Amino acid sequence: MPEQKMIDHLFRHQYGKMVSILIRIFGLQHLETIEDAVQDTFINAMKAWQSNVPENPEAWLTKSAKNRTLDLFRKLSAEDARIANIEAGVTTIAINELFLEHEVEDSVLRMIFTACNPVLNSKDQIAFALRTISGFSGKEIASALLLREETVKKRLVRARKMIQEKHIAFEIPGELNLAPRLDRVLKVIYLIFNEGFHSSRKDMLIREDLCGEAMRLVKVLLNNQYTATPASRALFALFCFQAARLRSKTNDQKEIISLRDQDRSEWYMPLIALGHRTMNKAVDTETFSQYHYEAAIAAEHSQASSYHETNWDKILVWYERLNELEQSPMNLLNMAVVQLQRKDLKAVKSLLEKIQPNLLEQRAYLYYGTFAEYAYQIGNREESLIYIDKAIKLVKNEAELNYLGRQKIKYQAG
Amino acid sequence: MKDFMLIFIGVDYAEMELSPEEIQGRAQSWMTWQEKMEKQGVLKGGNALQSDLKRINGPDRTITDRASTEIKEIIGGYYLVQAENIERAIGIAQDYPDYDLGGKVEVRELMYYN
Repeated sequence: MPEQKMIDHLFRHQYGKMVSILIRIFGLQHLETIEDAVQDTFINAMKAWQSNVPENPEAWLTKSAKNRTLDLFRKLSAEDARIANIEAGVTTIAINELFLEHEVEDSVLRMIFTACNPVLNSKDQIAFALRTISGFSGKEIASALLLREETVKKRLVRARKMIQEKHIAFEIPGELNLAPRLDRVLKVIYLIFNEGFHSSRKDMLIREDLCGEAMRLVKVLLNNQYTATPASRALFALFCFQAARLRSKTNDQKEIISLRDQDRSEWYMPLIALGHRTMNKAVDTETFSQYHYEAAIAAEHSQASSYHETNWDKILVWYERLNELEQSPMNLLNMAVVQLQRKDLKAVKSLLEKIQPNLLEQRAYLYYGTFAEYAYQIGNREESLIYIDKAIKLVKNEAELNYLGRQKIKYQAG
Repeated sequence: MKDFMLIFIGVDYAEMELSPEEIQGRAQSWMTWQEKMEKQGVLKGGNALQSDLKRINGPDRTITDRASTEIKEIIGGYYLVQAENIERAIGIAQDYPDYDLGGKVEVRELMYYN
């Protein structure tokens, strides 16, 4: 017998699929029963496999999920008259159909819209999506998002409560509502990706899991004609460009390395190529989203053979457009960094003056570092030293601290 | 060759709040262990046991359920293996996946009367 090795995250993904299918059959009011039932199926699988290794674990799980669905029918129809009513109409054949691949995707898509329903607050949306679609446990969510387990539990309870109270429908929104609802979905997925990509978490596996989950969720959107919009494609392209350099973003000490210092030969080219192919389709539109511009910036970086050979002119344009779409201090700071590279010191100054550094939170050190470099470039050695010290005081990341230290030596030399 | 029973005690997955990812990891370890034993030709059989149990006690045959406090004593499953001696059987039991969950393995030789 060949050695059995299961697909990575098989159970996790199967969890999201099964929960989605079962909710489609029984309704969101049975969410908790359904989650418990799926959990039982997995535990039974593990126990059954102790005496009999399955030829195909995935098929085994699906079959067992179907059987469990029929068990649930009996259990729930005893408790809930409405279920007893639909039971007459739903046959085993109908259930079998819901387990077909495209129907599974449809159910998961409904689940995505449910998790990102605007009646839930955005923090609860992320926790709830990771739980029900991605099959993370409360503990895993806490660890991935650097939260306390208690906090995650509260968010999940609140989300489940809202879903019951507001009688949220388990559906893909109709034409009128689709655009704003899809915007929300994209935003939640974007936040999940960024939790992985920008995390200060040292465990690379968890970070890859979050980015991978976000990518899997957008792929579900791309497989449906109504949700495969240019913005969805742009978001996927952005993820491809970013994910391609996820591994080179940290050094051996697990510290984050900035784009400037990354070993570009380690970037994963097939993902970058996929990003470009996706982007080509994404730009077939009149209106560009935030993700279009962010993807364009990431694409530009991915094409430069070194930091210094980056096409800063183009990147500046994309940042300006992005900032027109959604003003943010981080965009302004990024523009200042780009202008510094372009040696347009006047522009650097006027941009820096528009920024309140405290709004940048943990990235405030970047502001002071940029200011220090600006002061140095205009020949103000004294100010450059004052600002670099401010930056050094605020920076948490060892690799960045080393970089700022080297800058300081440069400024001291004059 | 002698026959040994490896009895797995003290782990009830249903009470463990394992995540799907963790369950998959455990399932994978069980599968890998099983395949290793099958390749070596030492595995003769075995099963996991359902968590529900009934106990029949005393001359009155009083029936009781499992108490919630006795997880540590509950048998979760067993394998029947073939080994030269108990040391070898203990060697086989090294791959039991659930020591970290507080599980233990009891190794018992089967008694045959000739």
